Amino acid sequence: MTRKAHILLVDDDPAENLILRALIRKMSNIDIELHYCQTMDDALAFLRSGKPVSMILLDNRLQPQLDFRETVPALRHQGYIGPIGVISASLADAYFQNLEEYGADFRIDKAEIDATAIDFILREYLPQE
Amino acid sequence: MAALLENHRRYDLRDELEKALNRVDFFRIFHTMALRFGFSHFGILQLGNENDACMLSTRLVLHDLPSGLAEEYDKRHRFGDSVFYKTLHRSAISSVWRTDDPGCDANQNLLVQLGFELLVSVPVHAASTGARYAVLFLGDGEDIDRAEHVALAYDAIAAFDYFYRVALANKAGMGLTPRETEILKWISHGKTASEIALIVSVSEHTVNSHTATILKKLDVVNRTQMVAKAIREQIIQ
Repeated sequence: MTRKAHILLVDDDPAENLILRALIRKMSNIDIELHYCQTMDDALAFLRSGKPVSMILLDNRLQPQLDFRETVPALRHQGYIGPIGVISASLADAYFQNLEEYGADFRIDKAEIDATAIDFILREYLPQE
Repeated sequence: MAALLENHRRYDLRDELEKALNRVDFFRIFHTMALRFGFSHFGILQLGNENDACMLSTRLVLHDLPSGLAEEYDKRHRFGDSVFYKTLHRSAISSVWRTDDPGCDANQNLLVQLGFELLVSVPVHAASTGARYAVLFLGDGEDIDRAEHVALAYDAIAAFDYFYRVALANKAGMGLTPRETEILKWISHGKTASEIALIVSVSEHTVNSHTATILKKLDVVNRTQMVAKAIREQIIQ
């Protein structure tokens, strides 16, 4: 009963892609395909291509955009209605309290992402088939 | 949510608890708490009547156990028969369990069955209803000393209190937020959850979770009754 999930990681640091890739390789109960985009333009083009995306993990600060308050609405305007998680190292900043108003679903600290966290998030946001 | 008085001491957890918005935030708080005290996993268990048939997987309201572990457990064992479950109904004192506990037959020992070495259980309850829960911490440590145990129990009680009020409480009679009213309006226009997600620029998951909150707040059971009541109460035209 292995499920398939497509995660799109948007992060200007390619190292994060390597780290996440290594992490999900350890997860056996779900078949995750990780797609990686380094910029918002690439991410928007990826969504336009119509390839399946079950969840987006988005680095909070992507140049030249300000932060998730700009990037999440841009992803939503592309018609994406799946879950979006914002990754940041400073979740305590006050504007994060309005995360849902900008169309994001959840926040997670870079340091908190481990196999347990990914497993939890997928269970929480991806409907059981 | 009404703010708590400073008399309720929350120590280091205060800021984080005040900011927690959703289940992922509480996962983060409890998971970090487990790691901080040397455990690998946590689970929040809803207690029912002692004699009700009960399964571990359906009683866990939030947990970070590996996917499928609780379901596998339920296929092989009866949670209601475990010494651990029965003990929760006997006393509300926090308890510590190890695989080699004397007087606990291995085939009724929850830890052996789940494959962990150490379990700390902190009984908690909802301030508004008295409903009972227990916060469990599971790991492979040897034991927990008194100071750590006391600190962990205190933190678990504080975090559960927020988790209950933010995520579990029945919010019947509470006012709708502007976003909830907006979603209610689109539901009354016959839009589906995915259509509303597109219109409002949020995820379908968020629309569904707002819809569940509206059901609770209006104290109704489905979308039809929700719209009927909203019109009757003049929340929407």
